[in-house]
Amino acid sequence: MTAPAGPAPGAAPGERPSAAEAPAPVIELHGVSVGYDGRTVLSGLDLRLAERRIGVIGQNGSGKSTLARLLNGLVVPDEGRVLVDGRDTRTDGRRVRSEVGFVFQNPDNQIVFPIVAEDMAFGLKNLGLPKKEIPGRVAEALESFGIGHLAERHSHLLSGGEKQLVALASVMVMRPRTVVFDEPTTLLDLRNRNRIRDAVDAMAPAAVVVTHDLELVSGYDRVLVVHEGGIAFDGAPGEAVAWYREHCS
Amino acid sequence: MNTSLYVPGDTPLHRLPAGAKFGVLFAAGIGLFLLAHPAVLGAAAAVAAALVLSARAPLGALRARLLPVGVMLAVLFAATALLQDAGTAVAMLLRLAALILLALAVTLTTRPADLLEFFERLTAPLARVGVANPERISLGVSLVLRFVPEVFRRFQEIREAQAARGLKANPVALLVPLIVRTLKAADDVADAIDARCYPPPRRPSGGARTEENAT
Amino acid sequence: MNRRQERGITTRDVVLVALFAAIIVALGLVPPITVGIVPVPITLQTLGVMLAGAVLGPVRGALACGLVVLLTAVGLPVLAGGRGGLGVFAGPTGGYLVGWIPGALVTGLMVKYWAAKLTRGWAKAGAVLAACVAGGIVVVYALGIPWLSVSSGLPLREAALGGMVFVPGDLIKAVAAALVAHGVARSYSMELK
Repeated sequence: MTAPAGPAPGAAPGERPSAAEAPAPVIELHGVSVGYDGRTVLSGLDLRLAERRIGVIGQNGSGKSTLARLLNGLVVPDEGRVLVDGRDTRTDGRRVRSEVGFVFQNPDNQIVFPIVAEDMAFGLKNLGLPKKEIPGRVAEALESFGIGHLAERHSHLLSGGEKQLVALASVMVMRPRTVVFDEPTTLLDLRNRNRIRDAVDAMAPAAVVVTHDLELVSGYDRVLVVHEGGIAFDGAPGEAVAWYREHCS
Repeated sequence: MNTSLYVPGDTPLHRLPAGAKFGVLFAAGIGLFLLAHPAVLGAAAAVAAALVLSARAPLGALRARLLPVGVMLAVLFAATALLQDAGTAVAMLLRLAALILLALAVTLTTRPADLLEFFERLTAPLARVGVANPERISLGVSLVLRFVPEVFRRFQEIREAQAARGLKANPVALLVPLIVRTLKAADDVADAIDARCYPPPRRPSGGARTEENAT
Repeated sequence: MNRRQERGITTRDVVLVALFAAIIVALGLVPPITVGIVPVPITLQTLGVMLAGAVLGPVRGALACGLVVLLTAVGLPVLAGGRGGLGVFAGPTGGYLVGWIPGALVTGLMVKYWAAKLTRGWAKAGAVLAACVAGGIVVVYALGIPWLSVSSGLPLREAALGGMVFVPGDLIKAVAAALVAHGVARSYSMELK
């Protein structure tokens, strides 16, 4: 059971009016290398990300998931620095994460409270929001995704598509300035994939979307191809996808 | 699992604060072991039974709660009567019945969240010296409630997959993949929690402030 | 990879503790399994207690059991057969439940500081089994039996004899726990804490 897609997500009345025009934070990677168990995952990355819609594509094991986790400090580099509007993710991680939201591949592991509304409130409590403001913010965010009716539901009884929308809403309720997605559509059927695609396209904050789903990034401002631990291509979506098809499949 | 043993209602016991109920139960737990006169113990059991009934829980729920306990008490009664004497056995039976019924009355009329909050306040001195962390405990409790159904579902999936391959139910073959999958999920869950800015900012330090907030 | 390091208990530790507590609770939902040799059906919940210590380590294992004990106390039906509430502690078997906490601690300590340091396969397996028996049976009974004795008025000796009924089933569980811990360690290596 899934609800009809609601009004444009993230653009509900009551949202900060300036949100739609707020510039994306500038994320800079300076000489970033990351290894794991003695194996290099990413090496010598220098990037400056400031576009509103950025896609990241690449094969399994290419390091794109690690790249995503670098952007909000879930992973900090072995060498080099990651700066978000000048803040180092190594020393100011919590502050960075309040501005850079993260949506994971598997919503089962992202929804951490037994009731949907409790899960939505979790991030707001962590931001230190006054208790009396929380229910209003939660209701507003659920409504903006057309899932207000799920507020009192048990998390484990939601469908796959509903879970992914709740996971997305629970990040958006924190009003991040940019959201990083790690393969948000991989586990979804076509219908739910399209709902997530539309939700991402319509939302106010900037987005960095890591995905296998080449069509998802077709309208984006910029697409990176991660290959063998580095950025192999960086440019417009059409050319990036063409490069990826030629060299990686 | 998502239903607690608490039965919503508005009886005098429901209205009593969790701490008061727990305090009485705790005192009774000690007091009843200092008493041995069957008449006194019998009176205590009768009072406890009356308190359980005053909670107006559905009889089916009461039977489900009390039947297994009753069987266990019957076995113990027989054993004590045989090995000791009838007097000791009667005292034991009345004392345990009183205590278990009293505890049941508290459980039936107290929301889990209220008891949890009471325990948190009880351990506040520990929290202040950094031994216990109420923030983490309440996150842990929520995570358990969230993930019991998921773990159980995974368990059934693995069992079905193994049955489809003609394998018999074998605890070892079931538990290894269940635990490995759960441990792997833990990394993602922890990342998801951190990604949403956990832990919350510390409240301004000072115990007095915390106590004000708690009440 | 450089995951953010925090001192003491990390978010990941909290999650591991909670997920293992969830496993222990879920094992109570599984219908009891009858094993050929013993006529008594055994529930898998105490197997989870041994595993908490053997897989997570002493501190996290004990905390996982402590979380289940806490949930029982606040009135959730987390024990096998849907039992729970303060009545469990008021009753004669309360000591076995409370014994889970030091039980998982002892199993974890023995695995971490003894079994994990052994190199030969059979010696390690034997040590993990000994850890499961020591923590999951000896320590748990060491609290359970005196509690039963005080609560029921049975002399300690008779209470202990009565408790022996469950030893065969618990020994089978200890063997199973050791096998599971071995299997888990082979496919997921994790530091014990």
